[in-house]
Amino acid sequence: MSTTKGIDFSRLSLKDALDLAVLIEEEAKERYEEFAEQMEVHHTPEAARFFRFMSGNEEKHRAELAARRKSLFGSAPSTVSRNMLFDVEAPEYDEARAFMTARAALQSAMRSEQKAHAFFVGALPAIRDRDVRALFDELREEEIEHQHLVQVELDKLPPDPRLGTADFADEPVAH
Amino acid sequence: MQATAPVCAPKDFKSELKPIWCPGCGDYGVVQAIYRALANVGRPPHEIAFVSGIGCSSRIPGYTTAYGFNSVHGRALPIAQGIKLANPDLLVLAAGGDGDGFSIGGGHVPHTVRRNPDITYIVMDNQIYGLTKGQLSPTSPKGLKTVTSAYGSLENPVNPLMYMLSYGAPFVAQGTPADLPGLAAMIEEAIRYPGFAFVNVQSPCVTYGEEEQQIKAHKAHMKPLADLAHDPSDLLKAFDLSQAYGTELYTGVLYRNPAPPPTFEALARARQAELMPHALPRERILDLFLQE
Repeated sequence: MSTTKGIDFSRLSLKDALDLAVLIEEEAKERYEEFAEQMEVHHTPEAARFFRFMSGNEEKHRAELAARRKSLFGSAPSTVSRNMLFDVEAPEYDEARAFMTARAALQSAMRSEQKAHAFFVGALPAIRDRDVRALFDELREEEIEHQHLVQVELDKLPPDPRLGTADFADEPVAH
Repeated sequence: MQATAPVCAPKDFKSELKPIWCPGCGDYGVVQAIYRALANVGRPPHEIAFVSGIGCSSRIPGYTTAYGFNSVHGRALPIAQGIKLANPDLLVLAAGGDGDGFSIGGGHVPHTVRRNPDITYIVMDNQIYGLTKGQLSPTSPKGLKTVTSAYGSLENPVNPLMYMLSYGAPFVAQGTPADLPGLAAMIEEAIRYPGFAFVNVQSPCVTYGEEEQQIKAHKAHMKPLADLAHDPSDLLKAFDLSQAYGTELYTGVLYRNPAPPPTFEALARARQAELMPHALPRERILDLFLQE
């Protein structure tokens, strides 16, 4: 479940929409980075690699959107901030699990892409500005494309071992 | 001291140390909220002291670039008060879990509240002793089955919100990492409050916690007080809402005393100013005891 607070989509300008899109990608990039670190600390290298890969992807999208924003609006101040959004494309904190398989990591990413797609679909009816609508349409389509990419990777994976994450002890570490 | 330059970004408060909490733990969101709150407050890391007790959540000072003291079980508050008295200009945060704060350290809470030092106390309340592998904690719900309550707990939980309000805490709030922006704003407000400020964070334990206590459940069921038009200056209403601890997850500022009482360090400074002109030089202190 993603949330935005204090954003009136009916009055969103293209500059603010681009800023919002940049922040969504930034949040996702940072969360995947956090997940990768968690997996590294908890000896789950396959999931860590995948989360790093996702973090790199999100950063690429962020940079593209940021460049577009800059070319159109220069350094005009932004009216959108990170406090106005949460978990839009970033996987939720409790998606991570110690010893999660690569499949579980990909499934988590898939849920995040679906969530982001639902966000753009949900926002579109309220948008009045034609350019903003075109941008959100484009971003919505990209989320579908990302889902396909994740699905392709999922299909390549061997089935999960019969033992699940609950079968591994990874209890809190003592001082 | 006023907020001073240089202005830091949230990432400037993140230390090199990587958290070792279980993946999925609520504390990951809490530390992010603290980074954001500190960045918004505008004080640089070297002007901040962060004290904790013992437990999973008490590792948190180490994950920030502020001065940190991962101290003794249940003793975050007395140490934080000592730091604040010694150097009132420091921004002092204390943190820990529900066991650290309300069981082992429970005796320190009323005395801290009645002194009213300008300290922000963040409790990561997961209703379990996680680090020691899942025993009943003071806020565990009645009936909870754990390794120390195989047939279910017979005890009523401590209610941290009512506990703090009853002793007269001037700022009491509750949050969850399921609403990270809301939690960050709440912690920022607590830090800015001139006096003792308490933030109870329902921070799920992914390893030993109940399914209905996890972040997804919080997202589905939390009730932001802002949506309920709650007036945080209404103490009686705050008491009323606090009674729902354990059944409803109200998030936001329950109570904010609109007329903040003087802080302990301000009173101590005033007393010091009053007595200093009459103070004997250090070498003559013993004369007081020698006089008839």
